[in-house]
Amino acid sequence: MHSDVARLDLRLRRRSILGYTMGLAAYAWLIVALYPTFRHDTSLDALTKGSSTLSALLGASGSFTTPDGWMNANLYANFVPLFVLLMTIGYGASAIAGQDEEGTLSSIATLPISRTSLLLQKALALAILSLPIPAVTFLVALIGRDFQLRLATGALLGTTVAVVLLGLDFGLLALAVGSGTGSRGVALGVAGTFAAASYVTSSLAMTVHWMRPLRYASLFYWSVGHRQLIDGLSPSSLLVLLGAGVVLGILALGGFRHIDLH
Amino acid sequence: MADAVTLNDLTKSFGPDRGVSHLTLDVGPGQVFGFLGPNGAGKSTTIRVVMGLYRPTSGSATALGLDCWSQGVALRRRVGYLPGDLTLFPRLTGREILDRLTKARDDVDTRLRQQLIDRFHAQLDRPVRTLSKGNQQKLGLVLAFMHRPELLVLDEPTSGLDPLMQDEFATLLEETVAEGRTVFLSSHDLGEVQRVAQQVAIIRKGRLVTVDTIEGLRNRAPRTIELRFRRPLADGSAFSALPGVRVTSHSGHRMVLTVEGDVGPALAAAVPLEPVDVVARPADLDELFRGFYAQPHREGELHAL
Repeated sequence: MHSDVARLDLRLRRRSILGYTMGLAAYAWLIVALYPTFRHDTSLDALTKGSSTLSALLGASGSFTTPDGWMNANLYANFVPLFVLLMTIGYGASAIAGQDEEGTLSSIATLPISRTSLLLQKALALAILSLPIPAVTFLVALIGRDFQLRLATGALLGTTVAVVLLGLDFGLLALAVGSGTGSRGVALGVAGTFAAASYVTSSLAMTVHWMRPLRYASLFYWSVGHRQLIDGLSPSSLLVLLGAGVVLGILALGGFRHIDLH
Repeated sequence: MADAVTLNDLTKSFGPDRGVSHLTLDVGPGQVFGFLGPNGAGKSTTIRVVMGLYRPTSGSATALGLDCWSQGVALRRRVGYLPGDLTLFPRLTGREILDRLTKARDDVDTRLRQQLIDRFHAQLDRPVRTLSKGNQQKLGLVLAFMHRPELLVLDEPTSGLDPLMQDEFATLLEETVAEGRTVFLSSHDLGEVQRVAQQVAIIRKGRLVTVDTIEGLRNRAPRTIELRFRRPLADGSAFSALPGVRVTSHSGHRMVLTVEGDVGPALAAAVPLEPVDVVARPADLDELFRGFYAQPHREGELHAL
């Protein structure tokens, strides 16, 4: 498969990739470096005692002071997915609809490349875009061993893969909506709304009883919502995250093959 | 040899009164074909169908014998395209855009590419966002011509080009058709099309109004004949009854006629009236085009080639 279009799009986003990745790396390092200061601070655990709704909304559950609780509450349940989603939803909405609206897509769409190949290259760029933030967080988390922050490598790796797939899935949702409607705004709105709803559903399902069954509809739940930093990425979670990606990719392709471009 | 472009009852609709309706057109190979019409007439819509960007609502469009939608990949390998509202990636330099799109095509003649860059004095080392419209257009022309395509589809190609570059562009078109290749270009500017095209189609409100050669149009264009007679004439009845002749003004010895078609009958009618002087002005294509643009389509106006 040719990858010139994917490389072009990645080149166009080079600065934002670097900016987001370095920003999150700095934040992750700070969180890791602060851990020894707070690991015996039991007052933090009071926040999540009694299944606090507030802490659930922030993505925190269980103990704050265990290595997994600390990393989950400060990184994996909120900021890491948020930053990945900012990048992937932003690109997903821009890759077809945004570029078509600004007029740059016609130079690409009139090359001797099929729409299927073009969309696969956009999906490839999306997949690559979802990698750097989870990868750099993974590396910083490994450094955490020097700061008494010991996490199981397999579980950490599994969570990293889960966050990559989460970013890819929501990026593909934005790509599918953009390919179907031709509107960057609609793609951003729909994907952003679904991501927010998915996050809230996964978070509140921990404390709001009637929402518990709904968590299965949340990609956040399958990615970071149930003890992934301890148990790793389960085969069922992997299947759901991959399956959602395949379905959304097929929808994006269906839309792109029929839409009028400018 | 297959026609360069064939539209067969092509309709592309975006709702009532938007798009193009029932276009049927054959563009033969080895010529510059002008596609003329006022803004919003449907020129770009038609071109986007030909480039496989729009899917026809009904009817079909083929180019170089290939269906523009279902065989678009094979077709676009042989076609060069300049969009009407060319927008290049603003943060990249011209060189980077050319290099990346050259790699994506894999059939670019790099020597030809350099010749085109030199001919148009394309600026390659500055980000596109800092270039004027004309300088961006030069990059667009290099992109359209750099793989020596058999068919060029150019939407308002001289937009933003200075007169010198327009001359260079006209020369390039002459060379292109001399090699047997075809250029299908749209414009709202009659002067531009008249200068470079052999045949034209005129589109108005999404419908084809006429298709003809420039020479054919010139023959159909109204021309003005001013006659002076030895004796004053009472009226213009000797001329106004003639088909295609209109008396524009009449005062004593002087009579001004507007003639569509052959001038022979008007001159023959003048001879018995003892003309002493005649001044004929060249066919006014502008006038003809304004008429096409302004008037609703009449049955029988369409002259297919």
